Amino acid sequence: MKIWVLAEKKDGQLRRVSRELAAKAALLGDATVIEVMGERVSAAAAADALAERAKTDAPDLVLAGATPSGRDIAARLAATLRRAYLSECTDVTIDGTSVEASRGMYAGKVRARVRAPLPAVCSVRPNAFPLVDGAAEPQVASVAAGDAPGLTFVRFEPTASSGGRVTLSEARVIVSGGRGLKGPEAWAQVEALADVLGAALGASRAVTDAGWRPNEEQVGQTGKTVTPDLYIALGISGAIQHLAGMTSSKVIVAVNKDPDADIFKVADYGIVGDVFEFLPAFTDAVKQAKAGA
Amino acid sequence: MRLLICIKQVPDSTTRVKVAPDGTSIVTDGITWSISPYDEYAIELALEQKDNAADTVVSVISVGGPRTKDALRQALAMGCDDATLVTGEGADTLGPLGIANALKSAIDELKPDLVLCGKQASDDDQGFVGPALAEALGWPHVAVVTKVAPSAAGTEIWKEVEGGHEVWKASGAAVLTVQKSEKEPRYPSLPGIMKAKKKEIPERPVTGVEDPVTIEIVKLEPPPARGGGKIFKDGDVKAHAAALATLLRDEAKVL
Ligand SMILES: Cc1cc2nc3c(=O)[nH]c(=O)nc-3n(C[C@H](O)[C@H](O)[C@H](O)COP(=O)(O)OP(=O)(O)OC[C@H]3O[C@@H](n4cnc5c(N)ncnc54)[C@H](O)[C@@H]3O)c2cc1C
Ligand SMILES: Nc1ncnc2c1ncn2[C@@H]1O[C@H](COP(=O)(O)O)[C@@H](O)[C@H]1O
Repeated sequence: MKIWVLAEKKDGQLRRVSRELAAKAALLGDATVIEVMGERVSAAAAADALAERAKTDAPDLVLAGATPSGRDIAARLAATLRRAYLSECTDVTIDGTSVEASRGMYAGKVRARVRAPLPAVCSVRPNAFPLVDGAAEPQVASVAAGDAPGLTFVRFEPTASSGGRVTLSEARVIVSGGRGLKGPEAWAQVEALADVLGAALGASRAVTDAGWRPNEEQVGQTGKTVTPDLYIALGISGAIQHLAGMTSSKVIVAVNKDPDADIFKVADYGIVGDVFEFLPAFTDAVKQAKAGA
Repeated sequence: MRLLICIKQVPDSTTRVKVAPDGTSIVTDGITWSISPYDEYAIELALEQKDNAADTVVSVISVGGPRTKDALRQALAMGCDDATLVTGEGADTLGPLGIANALKSAIDELKPDLVLCGKQASDDDQGFVGPALAEALGWPHVAVVTKVAPSAAGTEIWKEVEGGHEVWKASGAAVLTVQKSEKEPRYPSLPGIMKAKKKEIPERPVTGVEDPVTIEIVKLEPPPARGGGKIFKDGDVKAHAAALATLLRDEAKVL
């Protein structure tokens, strides 16, 4: 069984999700970790380069991280190769002639087990497979992308507020704020907590729609789907569209002053009370807990 | 400029989806159907182009069964100029590559300058039809698009990436898969609704469309039940906060 892992790098390093997939691929069969060289390569150009290599390599299964770029290239590659594509898988198994995967459907409201004939292409969520302690850094093969006719990169426009943190979809801990935080000023306190936890920032749609936080931080049906070890929901009511994006988190903490808020129905730990009283006290307590006190 | 938006009809976002007794489908009784959320953002993006340049024509197309007409009518009521339904036996069971092929043959005739899809449909959550359609057409595509603007000899396209936006330029036709943007999709206006009621929605047959792979649903399940958590209801929030930190470290082991 030949397995490809599409490598994704950040600052020259293989992303964690690529390493998770490399470890999984080695268990599934004969693994090749493969990278498309070049900056700002369009999905079509990347898929063409990979498809060319696939002519000789003939991978049975291609795995990519379910990151925006991984999903984009994986989908286009599956179309180029006219193969099945399964996106945002949380588990992948092979049984000879087909691949079976677990994935969300209906905006994450249903968990599906699906089967597709091999060869196939899957994008896989970060945190789906464990890293092996002490495993050697995988060897990365590369292909060179050609031009994408009709499409050129013009410029990059950075978002003002989002520097320096782990990305939402890969984060192990997320601190997420809702309308209960009353305004963008409250994020100074949210960030102080996130710093102590090494967490990424999330938000409800009420918050991104109000422009308190950038769109890319939104969690939910029309935002990101996240699966961290710890999700802390501050002043979030728990609307069905928000829950769709975060109920697969391992541990959920909710803080809300309304005891009947729906978020408590999915919480492992909840505190009914004022988030502004909670935040500084909890930030201090986490500092102490981490210091072993 | 002619813009075409591919829309899918899906259960409304407030639907509590229930798995049917067969374990491989969902209960459709009582579901309110609507346009998939990202497709609504795509419609909004296209209608904004029309607001800015009145000679812009905004069309919508969908592959599906008879009830799909309601979604197309909703798009007309929002302000789209015309709608096409690709339908016939099997139209509502086609897989993504089949849908892409059905859309391609319509697009070959309709000849839009840009095609917009949603980033992903909120029923299968796949995000495959857009890139597959671009591939079938032999066009480039840009994913996670939040904004477009006409520019000298082409279209500038904003793609959301980590930490900001990449701006790309398409010199000719392209497929864009649209992300939520700051601008909420507009509601249908009353005159819009009246006008939409009277519009003809031409149909194209889905016959002869090729669907190279079948994805089988082995099992559907509700997400694992949650709840029964420890909820601190009364008393001092600060004391609870301190207790919580210890629980997260020693009991949940996530600190
Ligand atoms: C098609 C569609 C897609 C959507 N997609 C998403 C999505 O992706 N993500 C998303 O989040 N939403 C989404 N929504 C919106 C969703 O329905 C809710 O409107 C939204 O999640 C509400 O955000 P919120 O919980 O921050 O605000 P509210 O619902 O207003 O809740 C605020 C909460 O804060 C609590 N509160 C207030 N003050 C305090 C205080 N001092 N201390 C503690 N608690 C306090 C209140 O009790 C309340 O529960 C979508 C809606 C639609 C129609
Ligand atoms: N049956 C369909 N008819 C028209 N467009 C569709 C259809 N299915 C999917 N699409 C388009 O493709 C996008 C992605 O769908 P999917 O690949 O199913 O997640 C949707 O947001 C629509 O824009």
